[in-house]
Amino acid sequence: MSAPVTADPDLVPPAEREGVRELHRQLDRVWRDGPGLRGWLMSVDHKSLGKRYVITAFVFFLLGGLEAAMMRAQLSRPENGLIGPDLYNQLFTMHGTTMMFLFAVPVMSAMGLYLVPLMIGSRDVAFPRLNAYGYYVYLIGGLFLYVSFFLNVGPDAGWFAYTPLSGPAFGVGKRVDVWAQTITFTEIAGLISAVELITTIFKQRAPGMSLNRMPLFVWSILVMAFMILFAMPWVAVDSQFLAMDRLIGTHFFNQAEGGDALLWQHIFWFFGHPEVYIIFIPALGYVSTVIATFTRREIFGYPAMILSLVATGFLGFGLWVHHMFATNIPQMGESFFTAASAMIAIPTGVQFFCWIATIWGGRPRFATPFLFILGFFAVFIIGGLSGVMIASVPFDLQVHDTFFIVAHLHYVLLGGAVFPLFSAFYYWFPKFTGRVLSERLGRWNFALFFIGVNLTFFPMHLLGLHGMPRRIYTYLEGTGWGSLNLLASIGAVTIFVSVVIFLVNVARTLRNGELAGDDPWGSSSTLEWATTSPPPAYNFAHLPVVQGRYPLWSRPLDPPVVTGLRTDQRELLITTLLDAVPDHRHRTPDPTIWPLLAALATGVTFIALIFTPWAAVIGGVLVAGPLIAWGWGKPKPGDPVVTEGIK
Amino acid sequence: MSERESLRVAGETGSIDVSGLPSTVFGHRALTWWGTLGYMAAEGTTLIVCAVAYLYLQRNFATWPPRGTPLPSLSAATIQVVLMTASIPVMIWTARASRRFDLGRIRLGMVLSSVFALAFCVLRWFELQSLHTRWDTNAYGSAVWAILFAHATLLVVQFFEGATLAAMLFLGPVEPKHFADVDDSCLYWYFMTGAWFVLYLLVFISPRVWG
Repeated sequence: MSAPVTADPDLVPPAEREGVRELHRQLDRVWRDGPGLRGWLMSVDHKSLGKRYVITAFVFFLLGGLEAAMMRAQLSRPENGLIGPDLYNQLFTMHGTTMMFLFAVPVMSAMGLYLVPLMIGSRDVAFPRLNAYGYYVYLIGGLFLYVSFFLNVGPDAGWFAYTPLSGPAFGVGKRVDVWAQTITFTEIAGLISAVELITTIFKQRAPGMSLNRMPLFVWSILVMAFMILFAMPWVAVDSQFLAMDRLIGTHFFNQAEGGDALLWQHIFWFFGHPEVYIIFIPALGYVSTVIATFTRREIFGYPAMILSLVATGFLGFGLWVHHMFATNIPQMGESFFTAASAMIAIPTGVQFFCWIATIWGGRPRFATPFLFILGFFAVFIIGGLSGVMIASVPFDLQVHDTFFIVAHLHYVLLGGAVFPLFSAFYYWFPKFTGRVLSERLGRWNFALFFIGVNLTFFPMHLLGLHGMPRRIYTYLEGTGWGSLNLLASIGAVTIFVSVVIFLVNVARTLRNGELAGDDPWGSSSTLEWATTSPPPAYNFAHLPVVQGRYPLWSRPLDPPVVTGLRTDQRELLITTLLDAVPDHRHRTPDPTIWPLLAALATGVTFIALIFTPWAAVIGGVLVAGPLIAWGWGKPKPGDPVVTEGIK
Repeated sequence: MSERESLRVAGETGSIDVSGLPSTVFGHRALTWWGTLGYMAAEGTTLIVCAVAYLYLQRNFATWPPRGTPLPSLSAATIQVVLMTASIPVMIWTARASRRFDLGRIRLGMVLSSVFALAFCVLRWFELQSLHTRWDTNAYGSAVWAILFAHATLLVVQFFEGATLAAMLFLGPVEPKHFADVDDSCLYWYFMTGAWFVLYLLVFISPRVWG
């Protein structure tokens, strides 16, 4: 019997039901992870790894948040003796490093790695074993940073580790080396995720999902991935230059031997500014997705939205010098980068007006995901406006290295990334787990988070204008900064309570939350909602065929699907780049332990490199073993083998 | 109407059967080609950063190379350029053989590629000697060593990958996907050699012209 077209046993005539059930059983046998801990460690499933990635990144968010809470406790009153200067230096460095390198970028990639294959109607990412390797490298890097911190070797030169403070002359001990090597770990993981996502998006879209029908979220992940690809090597090389200055006596940043401290800043910010957009652009994808669902309307100006995303991606590379206005760069350069910094507000503005136009004509449903989007509007716009202020050189020189900058960057990053991320958690949590988060707790979560963020960070604008520098562990009573600092610390407590409510919500929902069904929102438009919650190991029994930009809204009663992929081994359908026309079938790997072992070997190598350059040689040999075993897999029954005689 | 075109038309109206599609393809149709391209983009950017550092640090010196450091000798690096140029036709020949599923020729091609890559690595050692400076002498030394070392990682990766692939082709079992892997290996080869041509001009020729 040929396989029935629909994959839902309830929708086929009774005589064909057993055939459909057998199809599900067969696909499950082929695609599910193996049993027990071994199966878990060998998993190459994008959902399994994506969830681990999101949870790990969120744990780092909590750790970074606790570090912030400790700093706010210390600053809550003048001349506080809670935390000394040395620990304080480590805390603000760990906080920034954690939030930027271990939370924000990884969590955005992770959401993409989980959602993109579902949203484009595929069964896994392009290189599943590489995906596993990337995750483990990231995990090892994060653990390495925190173990070092608890051993009192936590980095202490700030998250952007300016030379010469971080160089061998001032950054004694191994603290800065730990920072530099953590960067290497996270950049490798980031680059891997970027290649994964670009290839998956370009080549694995369901038939019919041409580029001009691709969901805006997938567009945003695509732009993010390209930015990662061209931005992250900069910081990876920069941190290696720093590590070499410290370990083997190179002079990249040593002014006395012709090096240049500003070279560090240029290279760092050539990565560092795009980094902000790497975090922000996926968030724009969440916003578009959630707005479409909760207003039940197509997003106004789809082409303008995409052009804005791409324009932001390009312009994001042309702003880095505005982080360096207080250095001796030429005035012409300052003027250029002021203009560029102001210009990037244009594509962002276009997107805001498109969203407003979408909401304007709709009847929005004010559920928790939508509330967080409204919070994003308010908080991010304040951050954007203070950004336009500090794009101006004279103003920037006044507030440089003050709490005004701290206020600005937190409004931008919390508003631009964390509010949309919470929205995304509430929106996709039913897909991840099969249960819907409590709406009542969600509203408390939102309200307290919104109040907390403004209470914490708005006073920092004023503190900065009053001259309070950032990165000081205490201040004198006579400065008059005490009351505003206390207010900010109360705000931090509010954020803390809000996040605890979120965790309670998650715990309660996982235990006995309302069951989600395929699509609990009832108005979603993208393909991940066309399968069960959580999705089966194989994502879709039959891959969907797409006939419109919002596939679930234009879906006929008997939706067309793809048949003919093998069910006895893991196979993906590869389609053409522009029009997503079926092109070939691709055998994708089974579970394997080698990516984990290769990541462990990589970890040992990088950590040993802090102590001796010879680790590069020994580590190279160490990593080669698992890599060969990884590549040299035995063909499974049914895989074609080429023998001598074939030409 | 081609099979792809008929599938496209069918998809606009109803379900489609893809069982007749091939499972081994080459070039931009294949996932691994895109993976290789991504790796090249990241590695290429890495080399660009090293080149940027070299050019930026040049501003701090009155002469380049700095006074007391001779110009880098040309012999080893030029031999490298010649050898790399000679290797390219071999790799084009190998790539074509892979697309014809010619196992005998790609075995030979990958052995030659491993020999070439090993020779590149050995020559790189002599190139480092021909710089007449150490990485810890001054910023010039750091920059040139960084460029040559960063590019050496490409050579080592290529040698390692090519030799492993050659061993797999001889020891088997050989799967059709390995032919596409050989094709991608050739793509990477063009990038690796092309990058050196540019870096050769930067490190060995430009100080003679503008130093």
